[in-house]
Amino acid sequence: MSVTHSLDRATVADAVKRVVIAESRLSIDPTVISESEPLVGELLRVNSLGFVGMLVRIEDTLDVTLPDDLFVGRAFTVVGDLIDVVIAGAEANR
Amino acid sequence: MVTTPSTVGLSVAPPAGADPPEDPVERILSEARAARVAAPPIGDAAYPRYCHELRDRLRAAWPTLLAANRRDIASAEARGLPDTLVTRLRLTDRHLDAFAALAERAERELADLTGHSTTLPAADWGTLRRIPKPLGVVMMVYEARPTVTVDGALLPVIVGNAVLLRGGTEMVETDAALAEVARAALRAAGLPAGLVTVLRDPRRTLLRAMLKRPDAIDVLIPRGSPSLIDYCRTSGALPLIASGGGVNHLYVHASADLALAATVTLDSKIPEPAGCTSVELVLADRSVVEAYTAELLRQAEAAGSALTVRLDPSVPRPPAGPGRIERLEPHDLGREFLDPVIGVLAVSGLDEAVDHIRRHGSAHTEGVLATDPEVTERFSRLVDAAAIVVNGSLRLHDGPKLGLGAEISIATGRLHVRGPVTLGALVTSGWVVEADGELRG
Repeated sequence: MSVTHSLDRATVADAVKRVVIAESRLSIDPTVISESEPLVGELLRVNSLGFVGMLVRIEDTLDVTLPDDLFVGRAFTVVGDLIDVVIAGAEANR
Repeated sequence: MVTTPSTVGLSVAPPAGADPPEDPVERILSEARAARVAAPPIGDAAYPRYCHELRDRLRAAWPTLLAANRRDIASAEARGLPDTLVTRLRLTDRHLDAFAALAERAERELADLTGHSTTLPAADWGTLRRIPKPLGVVMMVYEARPTVTVDGALLPVIVGNAVLLRGGTEMVETDAALAEVARAALRAAGLPAGLVTVLRDPRRTLLRAMLKRPDAIDVLIPRGSPSLIDYCRTSGALPLIASGGGVNHLYVHASADLALAATVTLDSKIPEPAGCTSVELVLADRSVVEAYTAELLRQAEAAGSALTVRLDPSVPRPPAGPGRIERLEPHDLGREFLDPVIGVLAVSGLDEAVDHIRRHGSAHTEGVLATDPEVTERFSRLVDAAAIVVNGSLRLHDGPKLGLGAEISIATGRLHVRGPVTLGALVTSGWVVEADGELRG
């Protein structure tokens, strides 16, 4: 299966922010999260054990299929890192 | 095809001798369904035998299991997983003792479940008996916790269910070794080995395909991250026994014994700060909130607990003393801290506390501290949660602690089961109608 439409960064950013907010068990507006927000910090608490749920949710939201090993062997520090890798993964599967 | 459409575990398995399906999803589902159909009814002596066999074989295979677990740990460390997550993956001898105790407990509870059935009169012409029946094929999706694999290979299986266990890829070696032990125990007990299937294929496409098969999977039990549970709840077509996160509160009424309230608060947080029954926010009546906070900090220091209190900015900070105090922020309302952190918010009374819980709570575990029985009764009637604890620790919400039995999770859904998911919730039931020749006419 391949991606059938292009993704703009704002759309991906919104999907990623929504999922990291849910994963951090927060109830806040995605617009208050910046791309430089740490994934593990005062606000967000995202860990790699939650990646399966995050990926399936992002795939559904964006209507894309991402590589199964998208997050394997990569280090993520801030929200923008996740956005970058999702865009790259979607492009790779086009 | 693997099955015909089913409602509750009544599908037809492929005929004996038929070639196994080539599609991996079909093959897995076919094998699980065939094992389910071939399994003896609930109450058969093979099930307590399986409890013994699993316990003994876990002990015998423990060095092998630890070696497999070390490989997973080494892989996790090489990938840079944080220490807290690596700790969750690690098996220790303490786990073996817990597994053995669980198997023994499950065997005792199995006897209670199957030892008697309810008989009722059917009008004036016969009798009705309600008897337990397996749910069918149960799929569990969870994160990297080897203990859940053992729970899943034991509790649903001894009441006749076939299980599909999809754990985190971080513990693939441990899970594979546990699967070997479980299947050997099943064979030794005289049960179909296919009653336990550990899914080792990490592809999400496989997971998605399975979640679309209500014809072959009867119940889904997701445990783990909020995204995973949310995905299972909204994207699949399978009936769900879900355990959501615990955004839990304690309401401290003006009549409360504040020393007890502080002790209960600490017990509801410190031993398992990230547990689903942990307290996150204390709602304290404004007339006692300062005294309560001071007592909480005093007890935390006396106990050597590294507690952080995020305090409502409208509440005067206690004079310089023990404990770490931070400002409670708006985004802290409705969150799980997953750390030894507790929010304290002043409220005007019971109604404001209940209103806050309705807006921000997750209907998991809520508590009230008060000596006024009218307050505790009103709180219990107004708040909707899987469990409401009156003048006690929220961590009492636990199957064994409550005397309800071994649990596989705590359910927060509204149907079939709410609260501890014990053996009695891993079955459905059917009626046996002793008609003695009666006709409908």
